[in-house]
Amino acid sequence: MTEAANMDAYASNRRINIDEVVLVKQCRQGDSAAMERLILRYQNRIYNVILKICADPDDAAELTQETFVKIIENINKFEGRSGFYTWAFRIAVNLTLNYCRRNVKLGFRSLDAEQVQYNSQAKQLLRQFLSDDSSLEPAVVAQNREMCEIAVEALMKLDDAQRAVVVLRDIEGMGYARIAEVLDIKLGTVRSRLSRARSRLRQILEAIL
Amino acid sequence: MKENPEIDELLNSFIDGELTARQQTEVQRLMAHDAKIAQRLRQLQKCKMLVSSLPVAEAPDEILEDVKASLEKRTLLGEQGSDFDERAGARHLLVRKVMAAAAMIGLVAVLATVVYTILAPEPVLEGPVAFEVRELPGEIEAARPKPRMVAVEFNGRLELKTSALVAVDAFINRAIEDNGLSVSISPARQQDKSVYSLRCSQDGLNLLLADLGSIWEKFDSATLSVETEAFGRQVVVNAVTAEQIAEIVNQDSLQRRTEVARDFALLNDTAERLPGREILAAIDDGSRHLITIPKPVLTSSQRTTKKPAGRAEDKQKVHLVIVVAGSE
Repeated sequence: MTEAANMDAYASNRRINIDEVVLVKQCRQGDSAAMERLILRYQNRIYNVILKICADPDDAAELTQETFVKIIENINKFEGRSGFYTWAFRIAVNLTLNYCRRNVKLGFRSLDAEQVQYNSQAKQLLRQFLSDDSSLEPAVVAQNREMCEIAVEALMKLDDAQRAVVVLRDIEGMGYARIAEVLDIKLGTVRSRLSRARSRLRQILEAIL
Repeated sequence: MKENPEIDELLNSFIDGELTARQQTEVQRLMAHDAKIAQRLRQLQKCKMLVSSLPVAEAPDEILEDVKASLEKRTLLGEQGSDFDERAGARHLLVRKVMAAAAMIGLVAVLATVVYTILAPEPVLEGPVAFEVRELPGEIEAARPKPRMVAVEFNGRLELKTSALVAVDAFINRAIEDNGLSVSISPARQQDKSVYSLRCSQDGLNLLLADLGSIWEKFDSATLSVETEAFGRQVVVNAVTAEQIAEIVNQDSLQRRTEVARDFALLNDTAERLPGREILAAIDDGSRHLITIPKPVLTSSQRTTKKPAGRAEDKQKVHLVIVVAGSE
């Protein structure tokens, strides 16, 4: 099967917006307008995922830029077997995880980062949210900056692989099968890794609160 | 509730909607019957909700421009896409593989040569070989393998010219008889010359040459023609001496014999052209013994090889035709 046929099959089988396939084709032909549209379409989602994994806005911006440069440079290699979206996120997550490993090795980021003193009201609110009988809406958490910081801190205490699975599932909203494709791991691994990650996150949050 | 990884996986899959309808029903049934499982489900759901509720960050506005600038910069710097890099890399890798394979083959060939040199049996000597006789202790001598040698027949023709044909002829006949070579001689008397077709051993010839050496001065010329390994080609040694003949005949191979004969031919011709010869020609015959030009001999021990005495292979290996003719 040719690459074009692969892409057509991909578009029809997975019901992906045909616009994306067209954009990718145009981009492969050197159409800079198509390239811009692809970047604009995905930049926020990719940036958000990268930021949630690496937790540094500047590094996230740089990694996002690097991701798109790699995407454009390697667009001819994209054969359409997986979705463009999956392929793009695979590049982004791989770059980010490599960055995290490098920083841990160089000591730029410590998993035992200094404990931040949070406002007791935020802690109380979060504790209430996590309690079994609470009916507090998640929107309350999203509106409280300190609660978000606590959640991010807990997220950053997960190991890189667990954090990547949690971010792709709970922030990007990917299904298990797509996460497996992006991370190039088995479906069962996604299932078990995500389960361990959520259990661990709960423990970390309880320790913080 | 105490954590149970399997239940947790099931509950997380339930939360994420990754279970089949049947599995979902099963989980709901479990929760209905077990409050702890229901509690655990709520804990995990809260975790998911917390992370999901984190605000979505927007990419900085300059991302697009930065990407464009980065791509332009790479293009200006001549950095090709990874497609190009990959092709170039593949070519480079192929060249390196070929070179490595060639180097390996070369190395194996060299090693094989070295191993063959070390382990290969000594070549069987088809022709005679030169060897040096050394005094060895009896046991060692007995244990030492004898070299296999095949004597090569010497074929040559010695032409002697003398003004005293009758006397020289008589002397040669007597020497032949004294040395017990009469059986192997086929003398033929022709007009003004005697022809001796001699088939004998090297030792027999050496004895005859020793006798002839005492009257060598009686010969006005002595020319030896030696057959070479090349069929029909001969080396002619002018002004040859009895010692030189013995030395040539005693070589064990045709090649060595030819080389020695050529050396003597060259040396004798050179000696004939030395100024002393012209002086000799100008001086009276009676004073010849006062000025003598020594015949050249080979001095290098490597050039000539003496054969050990008593070798069985020596027998009847010399065929020398001696022609004694009168000088004009």
